[in-house]
Amino acid sequence: MSYDDVEIEDMEWNEELQSYTYPCPCGDLFQITRDDLRLGEDIARCPSCSLYITVIYNAEDFADTASKKNVEHSKQQPVAVA
Amino acid sequence: MMTMEEATKASSPSSSAAAGGGGEEEEVWSWGAGTDGQLGTGRLGDEHLPRLLSLSLPSSISLLACGGAHAIALSSGGRAFSWGRGISGQLGHGEVASNCLTPKAVTSLEGYFITGVSAGWSHSGFVSDAGCLFTCGDGSFGQLGHGNHESCSSPAEVSYFSSKHVDQIACGLRHSLVLLKGDHKNGVYGFGSCKRGQLGPTSNRTRSTGLPQAIQGLENIEIASVVASGDHSAALSSGGRVYTWGRGFPGFSDAHSPVELPSSLQIKQIALGWNHALVLTDGGEAFILGGNRHGVLGNLEKLGLANNTPDVSTLVLERVPGLDGIKVMQIAAGAEHSALVTEDLVVMTWGWGEHGQLGLGSACDWIEPQEVSLGHTLSGHWAKCSIYCGSGFTFVMRSRTSSGLHQDD
Repeated sequence: MSYDDVEIEDMEWNEELQSYTYPCPCGDLFQITRDDLRLGEDIARCPSCSLYITVIYNAEDFADTASKKNVEHSKQQPVAVA
Repeated sequence: MMTMEEATKASSPSSSAAAGGGGEEEEVWSWGAGTDGQLGTGRLGDEHLPRLLSLSLPSSISLLACGGAHAIALSSGGRAFSWGRGISGQLGHGEVASNCLTPKAVTSLEGYFITGVSAGWSHSGFVSDAGCLFTCGDGSFGQLGHGNHESCSSPAEVSYFSSKHVDQIACGLRHSLVLLKGDHKNGVYGFGSCKRGQLGPTSNRTRSTGLPQAIQGLENIEIASVVASGDHSAALSSGGRVYTWGRGFPGFSDAHSPVELPSSLQIKQIALGWNHALVLTDGGEAFILGGNRHGVLGNLEKLGLANNTPDVSTLVLERVPGLDGIKVMQIAAGAEHSALVTEDLVVMTWGWGEHGQLGLGSACDWIEPQEVSLGHTLSGHWAKCSIYCGSGFTFVMRSRTSSGLHQDD
């Protein structure tokens, strides 16, 4: 059974991992790629443990691989080094 | 099985962690998820059994805080040291490093005497003796309280509170709570993600706020402490009442306003996980809230979750099973595991164990508290034992004053 159901808008795009991520209770991140989403996959897995979450998203937003216009990127903030 | 190296380390008193000045004898132990160096062992990797640490700190430790994958120690001299994952700036070292294996001073705070600290998923908060609040790390959801959604790698003062006296900071997954000193009218503030109600009532469209706002619904209640973990928030009144808000516990809907726990128990401590809460009564009894998934995470298929979503006010506290009258001194909660210290300073853990966070030598889950073995010391040797849980890891600190009144064992 899925650990949690998480809306795509609550996941964060991670440039390094090229994946949408969400915190896993083990300390690592649940991850799912844009390609996974395009193929209709809705399970984001944690690379460190057995847990996974179900991603809630609108399939149409990911239907066109070349288009990223519907994907919200507003939360990708670079870390400001003081 | 304990390896030879572990057995040697555990029984060797010479490896005791930095005995501070003034004859203070101190031990720090850690176990669980460690792939970001958060265990302070100097290595990247999980530990299924408690490891006695040799942390190089200048004086004894007064307080520890454990977050998603980082840890912060305060020295008795008011200095802060941090280690573990640093990718979001949560270590406060002024630079972004993926991780830091050993405690490193948070140098930008060295002009202040730090008395309070909290470690969230990927951000950190520090409170000085003069009531100043500093935050660093991931600010994507406004959880640093600086009025924006920017991250920072050096603790920066939260200017909103510059004319107020901050008493406590509590950092959750994507939000933070602040308790002011001596202000019972509007004493609790929050900032960061508020989608699940973790900042109390907000307008429907608001998903996060970078500007601190007073938590509505706690006015005129004298709050003694605030707690945040996952998307949960909680406050404990000085009269021993518990208020929770934010994400609903399993099977319950979110609470967008603080709800008093319907219980006549006098509570003295609250600990929050990501899906459960622990409370400890004045009489030393431990209770769990939302614990129907606790200790069965590795086997969720077997668990039928109720489909109805009752209101949070019908939440029922259940006694922590298997304690059989043992008096509890302290409780702590990781994301999905729990820990407690008994009257006899025995450490017990239960819940999710996949990363060894229970310290029982395996990756098994337990639904009842199990005793953790922390080397061979005679009972009564230690005067104090404190437990701290990060998301998937655990720290224990034991100390006593070797004044000659106690004979060494």
